[in-house]
Amino acid sequence: MNDVKAAVSDIESAFDASRYPAEFLEQYDQLECLAASHGTETFLVKQKDGEKLFVAKCYDKSLYSFVHESNILKALNHKGLPAFANEFQNDATICIVREFVEGKPVNQYITEKHLSNQEIIGIGAALCNILIYLHGQQPPVIHRDIKPQNVIVKNDGQVVLIDFDIARVYNSASEADTQFFGTREYAPPEQYGFSQTNSRTDIYSFGILLRYMLTGSERENPNVRIYKPLARIIKKCTAFAPKERFTSAEMVKKALLAANPKAQRRRKTLIAVCSAAVIALCVFGGVRWYQYATFDPLAEGSIPSMMTDAERVSDAVSYMKDKYGTNLFDDTESYADIGFVKTILTDVYGYDSDYARALPQEGPPHESDKNFLPWGMGDEQYVARDVMVYVAVKIYWMDKVSDYSNLKDDNGYYPGVRAAVAFAEETGILTDVGHITKGEAAILLANADRVFEATKE
Amino acid sequence: MIEQINQVRTSTLFRLLFKTSNIKKFMEKNTDEMQLPSFSEYISRLCADRGEVPEKVIKRANIERSFGHQLFKGTKKPSRDTVLQLAFGFVADVDTAQKLLKYARMSTLYPRVKRDAAILYCLHNRFTIMEAQNVLHDMKLPLIGGGKQNERCESSR
Repeated sequence: MNDVKAAVSDIESAFDASRYPAEFLEQYDQLECLAASHGTETFLVKQKDGEKLFVAKCYDKSLYSFVHESNILKALNHKGLPAFANEFQNDATICIVREFVEGKPVNQYITEKHLSNQEIIGIGAALCNILIYLHGQQPPVIHRDIKPQNVIVKNDGQVVLIDFDIARVYNSASEADTQFFGTREYAPPEQYGFSQTNSRTDIYSFGILLRYMLTGSERENPNVRIYKPLARIIKKCTAFAPKERFTSAEMVKKALLAANPKAQRRRKTLIAVCSAAVIALCVFGGVRWYQYATFDPLAEGSIPSMMTDAERVSDAVSYMKDKYGTNLFDDTESYADIGFVKTILTDVYGYDSDYARALPQEGPPHESDKNFLPWGMGDEQYVARDVMVYVAVKIYWMDKVSDYSNLKDDNGYYPGVRAAVAFAEETGILTDVGHITKGEAAILLANADRVFEATKE
Repeated sequence: MIEQINQVRTSTLFRLLFKTSNIKKFMEKNTDEMQLPSFSEYISRLCADRGEVPEKVIKRANIERSFGHQLFKGTKKPSRDTVLQLAFGFVADVDTAQKLLKYARMSTLYPRVKRDAAILYCLHNRFTIMEAQNVLHDMKLPLIGGGKQNERCESSR
């Protein structure tokens, strides 16, 4: 059985806490030392009157003439940065207390999670957002120690950048930094004193961090293949000359998002779609040009044939109305009779009334200059399809058939009618060999008109 | 006599721990994490070396039984305080306790932290876990396994 009271007394008498500010120790319990080096100690601490955890960074004042962290942290407010909580100092030490970020540092996170390129890009883009904020301060804040241990991924995925003790506010008048700070593998050449560090210093370290996340190493390894778009970003971030690097974290973020495999796939798809569209347009244009160059009024496809019967009728009635200002075809369902045809000839096409209205001759079909219609029909006698076709051909290609007197073939048809009927059959305009409706008459005349217009040049 | 030996040992320890001029070297000695075996492997091996069964260690550590066995199997990861409890369960000396923390990838005991100093004292003097808790309680320091810090994640560097 050990003596607890004696132990307490021993420890209290031997323990020397005077190096830390008394007020700091009054307010916080030090739980453990997270890191210790170069006159700095980082402690996990807990408020004495609560459960909330904080991180306290204590600097040996004999080694650090002034400390940036508190001044920088005090001025910043971003969800990707730890919030400043307090600052204490005595003659020996200055302690800066900040919010404790619950999560895993990137070096640990990537080992446990085996991240995809896309997830790494996500972390990178989140880090860029923080850098955009820091570098956008007036004057800009340069972190100068971006490395896996200082980038924490919280449980909810939020990325937080910690450790601002070597961060500096960019002074545009200063030419070179006088002291080297940072972590060797992540520090760009200028951080060794070649020139003053600026936002491109952080971009360099970011590039190394990106390589580390992708390969597990800060150094280039020719045996490890990196996804090409990301390899290009790393190369540009880590260029020796600062002016050859990305000019801003904003640019890095843009490049990262564009390198996202999903974005790349989208881009490839877009290119493929555009190419296909261009090819389709070329093919369509070529086909249209070919159709125009080889236009055959009697060929299938020369007239609208993709429409339904009702649409064809409606299209033709509209065409006739628009072109000739007639409502004669509106009653599309009623049958066309010879009187209707005569009215069309006189009112729509303006034929001389005597010529169009002359009484049809009796007997076998006969064409003469005196009569438009070749054979005798009563005014109210329904018109058959082939007769209507003949009318259309006679209207539009009158010169093709000037004398019908001896042209009757073995089947009793006239050549003009035969041509017209063949045309109508090939194009599927007419389906009914019997009497024709006014709607069908409109189709026939409108299409004959279109073919005529297309071929008259 | 034993008390006297302890006194001498304690003062030696304190000289080493508190008066050392090279704290960095002290830390480096304890934070070498190259090629570490897994924590569960290490504690199982430690048990075997000492000819002890895990059950006994778990009991002395005052850890809930099934959780303790999960630690030995490696199906659960310990917090820093759980590792310290196990150190008491193993009746570990300071070196072994630091190794336990190192293999669990936790920050080692740091003599400038008062709580850690008290724990170092207790380990060095082979206090039981209950005695160590009493010491911490009397010193108004957080007890082992008593707080939110058990789930902490932000790393040591």
